[in-house]
Amino acid sequence: MNTTSKTSIYKGITPAALIAVIVMPMVLPSTTLATEILIFALAALGCNLLLGYTGLLSFGQGIFFGGGAYAASLSMIHLNFGLLSALLCAMIVGALLAALVGALAIRRTGIYFVMLTLAFSQMAYFLAYTLSDWTGGDNGLLDVPRPALEIFGIQLADLTSSQAFYGFVAALFMLIFIFARRVIHSPFGSTLVAIRENEGRASAIGFSTSHFKLLAFVISGAITGIAGALYAMLLNFAPLSNIELMMSENILIMTIIGGTGSLLGSLLGAGTIVMLGDILSSIWPRWMIILGIALIAVVLFMPAGLWGGIESLMKRFRESKTSEPDPKLQQEAKS
Amino acid sequence: MNDYILETQNLGLRYGAFAALGSVDLKIRKGTIHTVIGPNGAGKTTLFHCLTGERTPSSGSIRFAGKDLTRQPPHKRVATGMSRSFQITSLFQNLSVRENLRLAAQGRDGLAALAFWYSDSQRQQHLQKADEILERVKLTALANTCAGDLSHGQQRVLEVGMSLCGDPELLLLDEPTSGMGIDDIPIMTDLISELGKQHTVMLIEHNMRLVMSISDQITVMHQGNILVEGEPDQVRGDERVKKAYLGESGS
Amino acid sequence: MSLYLFQALNGIGLGMIYFLISVGLTIIFGLLNFVNFAHGAYYLLGSYLAFTIVSLSGNFWLALLLAPIVVAALAWVTEKTLIQRAYHLPHTFHILITLGIALIIQELSISIWGPIGKTVAAPPSLAGVIQLGDFFYPKYRLFVIAFTAVIALALWFLLERTRFGALVRAGSEDAQTVSLLGTHIHKLFALTFALGVGLAGLAGVLAAPIRGVHPFIGPEVLGLAFVVVVIGGMGSFVGALVGGITVGLVQSMMTTLWPQGASLMIYGAMAIVILMKPYGLFGRA
Repeated sequence: MNTTSKTSIYKGITPAALIAVIVMPMVLPSTTLATEILIFALAALGCNLLLGYTGLLSFGQGIFFGGGAYAASLSMIHLNFGLLSALLCAMIVGALLAALVGALAIRRTGIYFVMLTLAFSQMAYFLAYTLSDWTGGDNGLLDVPRPALEIFGIQLADLTSSQAFYGFVAALFMLIFIFARRVIHSPFGSTLVAIRENEGRASAIGFSTSHFKLLAFVISGAITGIAGALYAMLLNFAPLSNIELMMSENILIMTIIGGTGSLLGSLLGAGTIVMLGDILSSIWPRWMIILGIALIAVVLFMPAGLWGGIESLMKRFRESKTSEPDPKLQQEAKS
Repeated sequence: MNDYILETQNLGLRYGAFAALGSVDLKIRKGTIHTVIGPNGAGKTTLFHCLTGERTPSSGSIRFAGKDLTRQPPHKRVATGMSRSFQITSLFQNLSVRENLRLAAQGRDGLAALAFWYSDSQRQQHLQKADEILERVKLTALANTCAGDLSHGQQRVLEVGMSLCGDPELLLLDEPTSGMGIDDIPIMTDLISELGKQHTVMLIEHNMRLVMSISDQITVMHQGNILVEGEPDQVRGDERVKKAYLGESGS
Repeated sequence: MSLYLFQALNGIGLGMIYFLISVGLTIIFGLLNFVNFAHGAYYLLGSYLAFTIVSLSGNFWLALLLAPIVVAALAWVTEKTLIQRAYHLPHTFHILITLGIALIIQELSISIWGPIGKTVAAPPSLAGVIQLGDFFYPKYRLFVIAFTAVIALALWFLLERTRFGALVRAGSEDAQTVSLLGTHIHKLFALTFALGVGLAGLAGVLAAPIRGVHPFIGPEVLGLAFVVVVIGGMGSFVGALVGGITVGLVQSMMTTLWPQGASLMIYGAMAIVILMKPYGLFGRA
C-alpha cells in the first residue's frame, strides 16, 4: 500500500506476474481462456489505477473498452491497419475518450462524479446502438481480423493459432504491467495516492488535483482501450455488450474482488472471475449470485480483496516461521 | 519598496446581507510572527480562508510578495511561497510520516509532479527535504510510522511540518494548538517561535498564553473588521479588546 | 391531435411510475444519505411477485396490496442485516454493496421465474378501453395515473403532516437533529429504507400489466430513477415528481420517432444538470 521509496519495478510482484503468465496456459483447460484472463486483467489494471490508486469509482470503463474494440476493428476493416497500428489506434481512442469523460466527470466529486460516469456510459451505449452502420448495432461488428505481427512490413509472427496469440498478449501484458508499476512508483503515482487519501490536503500542498485526476483517466483509458482491441481480436467480433454498463460493472467487480491498491490483485481478480464464469456457467447458469455475495463480502470484510487476503496470510506464515513476534511491539503497532 | 510580505486591501466577503468580513486592511511585516485573535464569529477563519484561497472574497484584494493573488486557487499559492496548516488535522493518515512530508515537498513542483516515467525516489531533494523537516519538528524517530498512528500532539506537529516542506516565505497556521493537551502546548510554542526565525508566520490562535509569548504583532478582529492592532502589551491593555471578549462571554 | 393526447397520457402514466421509483430512492438518500443501487432490482422483484400472486390467485388487487409489502419486508431485513453496517462508510461502498445485492436479486429472480419475460394481465374490471368522443384510451393506464396521484398525495401527507415525515425531513436537513433520537434512529432508518424500497416494489406491480416483466430490466429502471433524482435534486419530493413526469413524457413522445434518441437525451440532460446545477432543479445546496 505504502509507496516505499526504493521499490524496484522489476522485483517483487513483477516476477510473480511473469510466473503466472507462463504457468496459466499450462494449467488452464484452454489457451483462449488464459488469453481472456489476461485481457480482462489489463482492463482491471486500468480500472485499478483510478479506483485503487486515485479513489475514483468510474462506471466509464466500458466506454474505453468498447471504444478501443471499435477503433481497432474499424481501422483494420476499413483502413487495413496492421496489428500494432490497430492497437495504437485503440490506445489513442481509449485515451481520448477517457480525457473527454474524465475532464467533465472530475468537475464533481463523490456521488455526483459517479453519476456523471454513469450518464456518459449510458450515452455511449445508446450512441453505439444508434450508429449501427459503424458498430453493427445490436448484432455487433462481425469479421474482425487478427492480423500477423509485423514491423515495417516484416512479418515476425503469425497469430492465427491461439497459442501464438496468447504469447503476444502475454508479452504485451507484461509490458503494460511494468509500465503501470512505473506509473505508480513515480512522482505522479505517489501524488495520486495523496489525492486518494486526502484531496483537500493534496491541493493545499500545491498539487492541482484536477490535472492529476485527468492524467489518471487518460492512462486508464489507454490501457482499457488496448484491452478492448485485444478482446475484439480474440473473438474476431466486437459485440455491443463491450460498451454496456454491465461491462463497466464487471471490470469494477474484478478489480475490487482481486484487490484494489495492488496490480497483482487485478490479475487475480480477472483470473478468478473469468475462470469461475467459464467453469460454472455451463453447470450453473446463475453463478453470478456468487459474484454478488463475494462483492458484498469483500467490500464489508476484506477491503484489500483476494490479494490482500493472500498477502496477510503470507505475512502470518513468515512471522510464525522466523520468530515469535513481540506482543508488546504488535500492540504498539496497532494502537 | 515596502517590507510587508502580505497586504490585504478593503478585503470583504458577504453572504447575502451578512458580511462575514467587512473591510479588512491587514499588513504582515516580513520576518514577524503575526497573530490574529478575536472572539468567536469575529471573522478570523473567513479571513484565513480568503488568504489560503478556499473562499473568494467578494471585494478587495490580496497582495503577496508584490503579486495580486486575490483570485488564485489554493494549489497555485504554494508555488508563490505561501503555505498553510489546517485547524482540523488533515494528513495522509495511511502513509508514513516521511511520505507525508515528502509529498508536501513534491507539491512545490506543481505540475512537474505529473511525470509518470521515472521513480519518485530519483527526486532526492524531496527525500532530503522530508528528512530535514523531520529533524526540525523532532519526528525523526517516528519517520516510518503511519501518520494515523501518531498521538494527537504529534499529528499537530506533523500538520505544521507539512506546511514547511514547500520552503514557504509565509506560513499560515490555523489554530495550531487546536485540540492539543496542556502538556503538548509548550512543544508547539517552541516550534512556532523557532519557525519565526526563518519564516514569516501568520496564525490564528485561541491560546492566549501562546499568543502573548510569541507574537510580534497582534490583530484583534471583531464582527468582521479589525478592532485593534499592535504589539502584545498594547493589545493586552486595550479596553476595547476586553469589551469585545466580555461581550462574547456575557451574552 | 388525439395521437398526441394518447402519447401525452402514456408519458404521464409512465412518468408517475418513474416518480414512485425515484421518490423512494430520493427519500432514502435524503434521510439515510445512502445510495441504493439495488433499487431497480427491488422494482423487478415487485413485478415478479405480482406475476406469481396474480397467477396463483387470479386477483390483481391482492398483488397490488401484498407484493409491495413483501418487497418492503425484504428491504427491512436487508437493512437490518447488511445496509445498517454500511451507513458510516463512503458512498462508494454503498454503491458496491447494493450493486452486489442487485446482482443477487436479479440472478435469484431468474432462477425462480426463468430467463424469459412474463406478462401480467390487468384486472378484468380495468380491461379494455374507455371512449371519449372518438378518443380511446386503455382503462388500466388511466387507473395507474389516478392511483399514483393518490399515492403521491398520501406520501406528501405522510412526509409533510406526520411525525414520521417531520423526522425524515429534519434528518435530511441536519443529521445531528435526528441523532438526538438515540436508539430510535435505527427504527426510523429501517422504516424509511423499507418505505422507499416498498415504493419501488409498488411501481413494479403497477408497471407489470403495461410493460411486462423482464429479468434484466433492473439496471435500466435504476438508471432512469437516478436520472429523475439527479434532475429533480437529490432528496426533493417535488423534484422527483417533476423529473419523473418529464422523463416519462420525453420517452413516450420519442418512442415512435427515435427511442435511443430519447435515452441519449435523458442521460445527456442528467450530465448537463450535474455539471451546471449539481443540486438539481429543486434541490437544496
